[in-house]
Amino acid sequence: MKTVFRQAALVLVLGSLLSLAANAVSPRGLKLTTDYFPAAKAGPGARLGTLPPPATAGTNDSFASVAERLRTQGLQALDHPEVAALFHSPDFAAQKVVFVDARNDQHYQAGHVPGAWQFDHYHPAQHIAAVLPACLLAEKVVVYCTGGNCEDSEFAARMLTQSSVPAQKLFIYPGGITEWQTRGQPLETGPRGSGVLLPAKP
Amino acid sequence: MTGRERIFDGATLLARWALGAFFIWMGLHKALDPVSFLKLVRQYDLVQTPPLLNLIAAGLPWFEIFCGALLLIGVAPRGAALLILAMLVPFTLAIFRRALLLHEAGGLPFCLIKFDCGCGSGEVFVCRKLTENLLWIALSAWLAYCPRQRLTWWPRPALPTTLAGGS
Repeated sequence: MKTVFRQAALVLVLGSLLSLAANAVSPRGLKLTTDYFPAAKAGPGARLGTLPPPATAGTNDSFASVAERLRTQGLQALDHPEVAALFHSPDFAAQKVVFVDARNDQHYQAGHVPGAWQFDHYHPAQHIAAVLPACLLAEKVVVYCTGGNCEDSEFAARMLTQSSVPAQKLFIYPGGITEWQTRGQPLETGPRGSGVLLPAKP
Repeated sequence: MTGRERIFDGATLLARWALGAFFIWMGLHKALDPVSFLKLVRQYDLVQTPPLLNLIAAGLPWFEIFCGALLLIGVAPRGAALLILAMLVPFTLAIFRRALLLHEAGGLPFCLIKFDCGCGSGEVFVCRKLTENLLWIALSAWLAYCPRQRLTWWPRPALPTTLAGGS
């Protein structure tokens, strides 16, 4: 078995080096030193995938518990009526209110809140130059992701605060794009400002 | 070489190719979407330090592809099989542990628990996944132990005349 262990050691060293090199050259590679889950709350309950009750369903109880959890992390939550009111307010047209979509490119292109900036915090370099000035100029920044158990909006908001966006400007929409769509709000497909709108569902 | 030995060698070769192909396929799924894999690794709560978490999510998929490729082409197949075994055992235990947590939290029958284990095959029923992994563990253990390996480039095969194990 000595030969086998020697082989394994060689494969381990060579494989590790090649794996790191492959990650470094891959356009989808991860940065090893980045904290992609800033200030994430520990505890398995938040990470059990399918089991925790979804926060999207629009029940007051689920929203209240999510809002309370976010509050303990220094973040504020908005429910759907508040988000919809902001979207339809003159402040949105004046860019005093901006929306930030924290999902990946594929999901963003498939449909986002019209005019929302994309900020996939797993690839911040691709987005930060565009999204940061908009957030700094705005008075309110609404960050959302898919909704339900999706935590990316929280992490994206955290990363924005690390990039000097004041936390008091940042609002999480826990219902996310799922609730937005379910509540019959319009969606924009393709890049930001494409003008291609999916009609609001009645 | 007897007919029995030929069958044995053929079966070992097929097992090696199957394990290699499986690991390449699983590794590719993860390597093409490392962010999803990162989120899944985090769900296991095994590692908290960001660089270590990132290292696992960024490196492991490519490492699996590398080991799978070695098995397919026949370079250091026993060493690669041993490393695959070393990856499979803790991962299978982690899947079992997470399934137990979900079972206790949700009260669902154990075999009805379904989740994306981060294995590269999407959502799966846990009993099926555990059975599948046990088979792969047995296969990789056998390949790591078995000195008779056909079609290898390195080390060159030195086929013994009997089926006895050992190196």
